[in-house]
Amino acid sequence: MTELSQIGRIVLPQSGWDEIVSHCRRKLAGDFLPGESEVRRAYGILAGLQEKTEIKIDSVLPVKKNARAVEPLKTYMDTVMEKYAKPSKTPMGQRGWITDPLELKECYEACDKEDLQIFGTYHMHIVAWEGDPLRDMPTVLDTVLARNSNLFTFIIAMVDESNPSIKAFYEGKSEKEVPVIIEPV
Amino acid sequence: MAKIIIPFPFRKYTDSLREVLVESNTLADCIEALIARYPGMNSIQDHPALLSIFINGKQTKEEWNAVSLAHEDEISLIVPIAGG
Repeated sequence: MTELSQIGRIVLPQSGWDEIVSHCRRKLAGDFLPGESEVRRAYGILAGLQEKTEIKIDSVLPVKKNARAVEPLKTYMDTVMEKYAKPSKTPMGQRGWITDPLELKECYEACDKEDLQIFGTYHMHIVAWEGDPLRDMPTVLDTVLARNSNLFTFIIAMVDESNPSIKAFYEGKSEKEVPVIIEPV
Repeated sequence: MAKIIIPFPFRKYTDSLREVLVESNTLADCIEALIARYPGMNSIQDHPALLSIFINGKQTKEEWNAVSLAHEDEISLIVPIAGG
């Protein structure tokens, strides 16, 4: 099977894109589900099938919990963020996200059961930065956290909430962008 | 034999195998045998704080040498995914 680093394009059905955008907008609005971490950031996992150099996303799996404040993950995240995160008014403890191990395990099991392969994660960027007004590119932090992950980092640019966009980068590297085709159902 | 469930991102190191059977008495032996067979799996230890291990669905935080394994135990290795 072709390695993920050699993928040429990613097909995302319109229904999957709608699901991602809906997830992002709900979290931005502060509308949280029972058991969901109450943070205004959305992140999730994308799974599907690979055929040669093309990936088709068949499943959008929003992640409910953020283990950012749980040790020893907290210390790891604090260390990485202090070194690589761009200065911000947002307190360090409220920045970044990391999956809860049990939730991720259950997600892997669900994908195995459906014979789906996990291709990457998505998360949204909502604040425009100087030099990156759309915020549709991975940050240095995104790249560091995706290093050697063998996954795609999908950036959902939500600076203009009414006009979101999606881009995919293998292991969060800006030079490894792969086009995402949103396919009408 | 214990059954190790390989997490998705690491299956590139196990010839795409979802699970690997290993003969071992302790968790430490089990991980060592896995890495001996598939050296790339050593990368699960790149950041020890991130690695979570579940045995038959229950997370263990004990020293690997202190965890005895029984026949047909199922071991899941989970390395959380993070983002900015």
